Amino acid sequence: MAVYGTSRDGDGTDIDTGRPAIDRRRLLLKGAAAGAAIAAGGRFSFPRLAAAQDSSPLNAIFGPGGAVGGQGKTVQGGMNLAMTGLGAFFGEVMSKGALLAAKQIKAANGPDIVLTINDHQSGEVPPSVNGVRKLISQNKISFLQTSYGAPSEALIPILQQNKILTFNGGGASPKQLFQDFLWMTRMVFAYDPTPGALTWLAKTYSDAKRLATIGTLENGVEALDQLAPKVWPDVSKGGEIVAKEIHDVGLTDFSQVIARVKATNPDAIFTVSFGNDLGYLVKQFREAAVTVPIVGIEFTQDAQTIAGAAYDTFVFATDYYDTANPNPWNVEFVKAHNAEYGKDPEYYGANYYEQVFVVWDLIRRVLEENGDPTKGDALQTALIQKPVFKSVYGGDASNVGEMTFDTQAHTIAKPMGVFAVKDGKPKLLEPIPTELVPPKEKSA
Amino acid sequence: MIDPQLIAQLLVAGVVLGSRYALIAVSFGVIYSTTQIFHLAHAGTYTVAAYAAIVVANRFGAPLWLALPAAAAVAVAFGAVTDLAMYQPMRRRSATKLAMFLASLGLSIVVSSLAQIVFGPQNLSLDRVPNQTFLLGNVTVTTLNIAEVVVGWAAIGALLLFLRRTQFGRAINAVRINPQVAMAVGVSVDRIYLLVMMIGSLLVAIAALLFLMGNVAFPTMGLDPILIGFIAVFLGGTDNVFGAAVGGLALGLATSLSGIWISGDFASAVVFAILFVVLVFRPQGLLGKAAL
Repeated sequence: MAVYGTSRDGDGTDIDTGRPAIDRRRLLLKGAAAGAAIAAGGRFSFPRLAAAQDSSPLNAIFGPGGAVGGQGKTVQGGMNLAMTGLGAFFGEVMSKGALLAAKQIKAANGPDIVLTINDHQSGEVPPSVNGVRKLISQNKISFLQTSYGAPSEALIPILQQNKILTFNGGGASPKQLFQDFLWMTRMVFAYDPTPGALTWLAKTYSDAKRLATIGTLENGVEALDQLAPKVWPDVSKGGEIVAKEIHDVGLTDFSQVIARVKATNPDAIFTVSFGNDLGYLVKQFREAAVTVPIVGIEFTQDAQTIAGAAYDTFVFATDYYDTANPNPWNVEFVKAHNAEYGKDPEYYGANYYEQVFVVWDLIRRVLEENGDPTKGDALQTALIQKPVFKSVYGGDASNVGEMTFDTQAHTIAKPMGVFAVKDGKPKLLEPIPTELVPPKEKSA
Repeated sequence: MIDPQLIAQLLVAGVVLGSRYALIAVSFGVIYSTTQIFHLAHAGTYTVAAYAAIVVANRFGAPLWLALPAAAAVAVAFGAVTDLAMYQPMRRRSATKLAMFLASLGLSIVVSSLAQIVFGPQNLSLDRVPNQTFLLGNVTVTTLNIAEVVVGWAAIGALLLFLRRTQFGRAINAVRINPQVAMAVGVSVDRIYLLVMMIGSLLVAIAALLFLMGNVAFPTMGLDPILIGFIAVFLGGTDNVFGAAVGGLALGLATSLSGIWISGDFASAVVFAILFVVLVFRPQGLLGKAAL
């Protein structure tokens, strides 16, 4: 496990704030300024420490640092991510987003949020369970940022027993809903965007009646089993599902799937495959001269790299994160991410970045109530009391976006849309109306 | 009634997949049958070849005709260094087969970890790879598919010719059958082990580069193909290089053609079911013991 903290650099620059550490000259200048204020006859009072030091643009968005912002408190957090294996890309972008957030929060005179990462080896349940047990017993975490479906579902009893506030912004699945201490920070994978995706498909390709569906048993199976057979005949006015192909996660050769799908002569393909699999799938379908529309529910730059130009024929529906969103917090996030890592953030990086700020907000609220912000149950109580948080999604040039948790289902409401890929980059085709988001049921 | 188009498309896919498996199986089989080392670090060689091609072609801007042989050379050098720096010292110290297997496993993990540290976990693709799709009736095949079959079987054929028609090939056969006797007649066993390690590395590099041309490089890319290669070797016969090729082809065809009746997520179950049946009823493998 890797523990990530923050520290001061040796050259006199605070690496967390990026500001020069105070020196004798600056101290004299500050003293002179204070003296001038007294000499001016005004009643001089020392400003609150927090206000004096708050210079991060994030303070304007999230409020002051200092004691009220949790400065001086150390809160241990855990991350349960795919750091190795086929999904290592996800672990990297998620951890980078969260670590950047922890660093920015400390720089904004907030608490010291220490993140320790457990590697669930791209979806393996035993390393997930064993690793998170260690995070709880040894690292004494108060909150957890988990990913994937199966390794997160397996944690539910442990999280509830130990009262660890947990967020999943990756493989949010129906089985994780309505679970105490477990909260989704993305729309439910595949399940939420499926009606919107199929509605767009039927509207755009009105002759399409025969739909082939493709997915895995890891994530999105409910969308294939429950939603698509119900929604497609309705929106396509009598269409049918002619194929349902399930493949292994991590498949690189789709020749068998392609042959089986081609034999059913579909008018369109809907897939809930994810990660690299999706890139291989789109690329190989196009190489096999299958030209019908392919609609999916995810976009990652890594899958685009695999598919290359073929991805420009791909359409997907999701709560896609847009780096160009002018929302002031998002602008700061993209700028900081580029400064820190030399590249734009990804969708998953944005989700795990946001989660750490949710935790900061909760710490602030718990402190206001004189509670203990290192207790997961205190953090969750604060979340339920006011489930609205700032977001890098949505908003506009003058307003930060907002996300609201459903305190029953433990889901989130974020804007979703249907996107086409043009020159390797997603372009919004149209937003998905909120009424197309399926209701959540405990049995789902 | 089974759709003939489905059968034809799955047959084409099976031949392509089987050719890939055959080449990997032969690359592993020639090392295993001669040295008796369960060379898991072969997965590392596969990965090294792919990343070397990425570096030479993408970072240095070399054309493919130069980048691919250069990458293969790097992989051969990696295989040679593995033998010289790891296996030979272990043999001198009379290390057990298990110890060598564990060292090999460790090396494969080191390679994938280093690839992730140096290149990151994201996929990297080779620039400027031409590919074209042909329609044969309703059946599609790409130029890369054809290349994979032609180059793969040409490499296997060349190896078999080398083993049967050259002095080095006969020396390898002698060491495989009885290293002590081979040594007694003047064959340097260490040199032969080094040679088969280089040959196996060259073949697996070809397989890796053919895969890379149509796909991408990623740190753990070597593990699955090498595991399939192991299975194919045991399927065809552990002492029979040609048997490994037959095992690989059979696996590819069975995996693909099973799609006539069952869904793709049962493909790995099909692979292991075949292995199980063969090991129970024909433990010496499909082709049994034979000369290389």
